[in-house]
Amino acid sequence: MGGPAVLCLEYSDSITASPNNLLDQAIVMLNRLEARYSRYRDDSLISLINARAGSNTFTPLDAETDALISLGDQLWRESNGLFDLTSGVLRHVWNFQDTSQASPEDLKRWLPLVGWDRVEKDHRGIHLPVAGMEIDLGGLAKEYAVDAVIDFLRRQGAASALVNLAGDIATIGSQQSGEPWQVGIRDPRCSGSAISVELVDTAIATSGTYERALSSDGRVISHLLNPKTGLPTGGPESVTVIDRHCLTAGAIATVACLQDMSGATAWLQRSELPWLLIDPEHRMSGPIADTPRAAHSDDRTPETTNSPDEHM
Amino acid sequence: MKPLPPKSTLLKSLTSTLAALPAYQVGQALADAPPTFTEVGLRYSRYSEDSLKDSDVLFGATSRYDIDIMQLWIEAPVGASWSVALDVQNDHQTGASPWFVGIQQSGQPGVIMSGASIQDNRVEVGVTTRYFWADGNAGFNVTHSDEDDYEALSFAFDSAWNSADNSRTWSASLSSSHDTVAPTREAIPVFIEEEDLDTQSGYFGVSQILSRTALVRLGLSYTYSDGYLSDPYKFNDQRPTTHERVALSAGYRQFIIHADAAVQLDYRYYGDSWGVDSHTVELAWVQSLSQSTLTPYLRYYSQRQADFFSVVADRSQDHYSDDYRLSSFGALTAGVRWAVTLGDWIFEVQAERYRSDTSWGLYSGDAAPALVDFWRGTVGLTWRFD
Repeated sequence: MGGPAVLCLEYSDSITASPNNLLDQAIVMLNRLEARYSRYRDDSLISLINARAGSNTFTPLDAETDALISLGDQLWRESNGLFDLTSGVLRHVWNFQDTSQASPEDLKRWLPLVGWDRVEKDHRGIHLPVAGMEIDLGGLAKEYAVDAVIDFLRRQGAASALVNLAGDIATIGSQQSGEPWQVGIRDPRCSGSAISVELVDTAIATSGTYERALSSDGRVISHLLNPKTGLPTGGPESVTVIDRHCLTAGAIATVACLQDMSGATAWLQRSELPWLLIDPEHRMSGPIADTPRAAHSDDRTPETTNSPDEHM
Repeated sequence: MKPLPPKSTLLKSLTSTLAALPAYQVGQALADAPPTFTEVGLRYSRYSEDSLKDSDVLFGATSRYDIDIMQLWIEAPVGASWSVALDVQNDHQTGASPWFVGIQQSGQPGVIMSGASIQDNRVEVGVTTRYFWADGNAGFNVTHSDEDDYEALSFAFDSAWNSADNSRTWSASLSSSHDTVAPTREAIPVFIEEEDLDTQSGYFGVSQILSRTALVRLGLSYTYSDGYLSDPYKFNDQRPTTHERVALSAGYRQFIIHADAAVQLDYRYYGDSWGVDSHTVELAWVQSLSQSTLTPYLRYYSQRQADFFSVVADRSQDHYSDDYRLSSFGALTAGVRWAVTLGDWIFEVQAERYRSDTSWGLYSGDAAPALVDFWRGTVGLTWRFD
């Protein structure tokens, strides 16, 4: 899943399965999701869909995958095309390991393969109409995996739990002591927390530049790319959102990072959720920044949301 | 911390797409959801038995049955958690069938055919309602079948439910039917006016996902019939009035990614209280092609004869029959199915050849002269719309 996984479970009599059994089942769930949605695995469902691009062969979708892709479709509509499940091919244009600029030739080659509006999806399944097109659910699958494990633990009777997959976090109830779960929001420019928040039965996700930012001509450039231009977005350095579910929190945060500053703020306000935006000048804004729990980078909190948007 | 505000319009719009996933449902969940589209289908099949060899016929025509089968179905979602389906089938059969087996002058057994060509029409109407909930679904079916001399009414309940990680599906069904036979044909003398048959059946099965490319399933069924089980149109057919049947089935599916194809291997064991048992093995290759799926398959079947079967019936026994379907034999079926998807339409065509022979079976037995060979062809059209 591209990062460390943490499962904190306050074991109680309401849970029927043994702790080891719960952990084993959670790992099976995560492995299943990774195997299904990872584009790094040749035998994943996503790789099969991508391999069939341009073949006129539809790949049937199970209810789970159909729902995730439909969310991607809805995000594409709501974001006026900024969130695009087919934009993953642009990774060929930008090498985030060095500071070189993208060449116009590369953009000319790869940009025509981006375009969610051309993807065919109906009751037959999904088909990418042009050979070389790809879809990538990495931006949704990790957050979904967090929600799926939380849902599983809830069904098993858990009343107090926290799941953290590489910075995407969701909680059940509060800690056994009655205290809310404490989660730090990582400072994009150092290893400490920029702020900490309390979570009870909620989830938190952060999208931003973090590790994959690159510097070119002295500028910090986001690894998040505009699917229409193929160029890095000039929006927030990071956005954190709290919601009932990690998937929606992450989706709202990701789309915010694809916008310019004013667009990001307007989008986050539309969500009516608690959010924190850190702009390129490292200024914080949003409802979370105004909470009494705001803390500085030397605070120590047990879990940290930093979500470098690693793909599954 | 402050509680989260009610969902915004934006959030409602996003989460509406997630309703099918358990993790995003409030209260009663709908992981196993009804179809999102309505399906209407029409299928025509023709079943045509080969004529008997002259040397196997003692009296009557050598030609046998042809059956034209027309099926119409519609299935539609109803609300968020129900679906309803209607199935209608019409079978029209013509031709002659073996009446009994006698001994020819050569000493070999020979078939006496039913004489004048028989025409019969059967109409079957079934309605199924199905309810979907978090981890499974359950359906209730009522089917009525009617023809000139036979009427059947059946009720069936089935259910399937998934394990917490969705890797295992359990399924079970119970069914009950009441049949009434009242022979009307004048071409053959019959010896009953009206008889009844009651049948109860149960099934339990499980399918397990072994990996993302492999699945295995096992099933066990038991059926009990009580009533008139003989064939009124056969002269020498006196069968027990009860019939217990057990079937064990197993299947394996392996998807082969680099070939974009799947291998399907199925096995079925059947045994009954009449001494018949059988083995069926089927191997199919499901090949995805551009906009279509091509499925060639091969099936082998072998059966041990019923305790009371003999090539020429022994009427001195309590139970006797010369029906070739109760004899020992082996059979091979080879077929191919091609399904083409064009937009909202699926066109399918299937052809199948079945041949049987006593010497192909795993069990010894005398050769019944009326063993059947047939062709079956099917064309179908399905329309799905949102």
